[in-house]
Amino acid sequence: MKEQIKSWLEQGTVDVFLGYREVDHHPIPWCFTQEAIEEVDDLVVSPARYSLEKIATHMAAEDPDIRIGMLARDCNNRALNVLYVWNQLRPEQVVTVEANCCPSPLKEHADCSYLEPGTVGAYKKAVGIDNHLRLEAVEAYGPEEGRNRWMYEFQKCIKCYGCRNICPVCFCRECSLDHDDLVGTGPLLPDIPIFHLVRAVHMAGRCIDCGLCEDACPMDIPLRLLYQKVNRIAMDLFDYRTGTSGDQPPFSILGDRVTLEPKPIQPVTGAEA
Amino acid sequence: MTIKRITFLQELLGLFGLQERVHLAWISSAEAQKFVEVVTAFTEKIKSLGPNPLPAYRDAPRAALAAAAH
Amino acid sequence: MECKLVPSVCSYCGTGCGVLFEVINNKIVGTLPMKTHPVNEGKLCIKGWNLHEHVNSILRLKQPLVKTFGRFMKTDWDEAIQLTADRFKEIIAKHGPDSIGVLVSAKITNEENYLAQKLARAVIGTNNVDHCARL
Ligand code: SF4
Ligand code: SF4
Ligand code: SF4
Repeated sequence: MKEQIKSWLEQGTVDVFLGYREVDHHPIPWCFTQEAIEEVDDLVVSPARYSLEKIATHMAAEDPDIRIGMLARDCNNRALNVLYVWNQLRPEQVVTVEANCCPSPLKEHADCSYLEPGTVGAYKKAVGIDNHLRLEAVEAYGPEEGRNRWMYEFQKCIKCYGCRNICPVCFCRECSLDHDDLVGTGPLLPDIPIFHLVRAVHMAGRCIDCGLCEDACPMDIPLRLLYQKVNRIAMDLFDYRTGTSGDQPPFSILGDRVTLEPKPIQPVTGAEA
Repeated sequence: MTIKRITFLQELLGLFGLQERVHLAWISSAEAQKFVEVVTAFTEKIKSLGPNPLPAYRDAPRAALAAAAH
Repeated sequence: MECKLVPSVCSYCGTGCGVLFEVINNKIVGTLPMKTHPVNEGKLCIKGWNLHEHVNSILRLKQPLVKTFGRFMKTDWDEAIQLTADRFKEIIAKHGPDSIGVLVSAKITNEENYLAQKLARAVIGTNNVDHCARL
């Protein structure tokens, strides 16, 4: 793998390669270049996940022609697909080196890494929502129980915007979550559940279920389940399979910017009919 | 598209048990009778469901959750 | 294209969360939580998430200012410190050392806080030391 990356850098196939390197015992995202090619020897596949593709979009914003190599797990690849769909990156400018997905099943329904499988306390299990549950189990709560459990989770929110900031597919210039007419920047508690539902609606057809938001949420709100729900609906209703391909049309449920024809959209290879 | 969007909304609100509060019906401008029926029926339904339970959680989350626990 | 992620510590409060600054072409463009940092384990509050903003802010003070005839004038550190020391001496001579209070901050390190209280007690001669975290 390291030889491959070195030869890409040497031959100019890529201008930069995004991977990880240990700095003071912390694996952090690192940008390898031809000028410091010897650093490639220190490349690690970090158990800590960062959104390398988000860093890639920031670089592409500075230099649209830059060619980027990237260490990619499944979630990174799904995120790249969404970024291609939304023209944030061009598939021609990105090459990836596949890295193994992090050891399952750290989290029961995970296909990706969590630093540690978070433990869920008894109180949260009793009145809130266990982040490890499957979506079906959460959907099965009765109307009142579901409402109480979700609202218990939402009222913990400290409005840090971490869920949005860390998300690889949140790239909007103007975000509804800090638009004064929609959600508003000021007050804490935010307008629940609007704050979370607005984000959820925007994640339909975008969220690739990487779990970074839930990982970053200081209050352990089961955000991933919420976004799984909207994407489940997008798949059931619109047959839209988020992140599975880079050349499907963008999906937006909102307003006149809906560019999606009702089903059937183009078939995705490997997906069941 | 509209029916799908409304279904989307109903499904999502279903997590909170609020799906019944969204209703979609097609009524032509010539169907005055149907308009009256649909609106009356929906008004009745909303009245019987009572006020939206969500604002209580935002305005006084602890009280609302404690009340729900009983 | 130069792109670097620079580990650092959030300066906004005493918690001291680990952050990574995203630096592209020598400009800080973003802040990320450090996933492996033992303090925050990949989480930040809203202040930490926006750390990079004050670095590039046009409102940022990069030079000391002295109020002269009701207006803030730019000056250099030597002059600013000399002026402060002179005024302190004046005030102490007139009203005694307890007329001065020192307010320190969670945004600076423990060591700096220690130095500040030392300055207050040993140099100025007052026990009026307080801290913004003592709410
Ligand atoms: S799981 Fe969270 S961070 Fe990942 S794509 Fe979905 S919303 Fe964004
Ligand atoms: S990361 Fe969690 S606490 Fe922060 S704004 Fe998002 S939901 Fe709220
Ligand atoms: S991110 Fe927030 S909690 Fe952490 S050190 Fe900074 S101000 Fe304190």
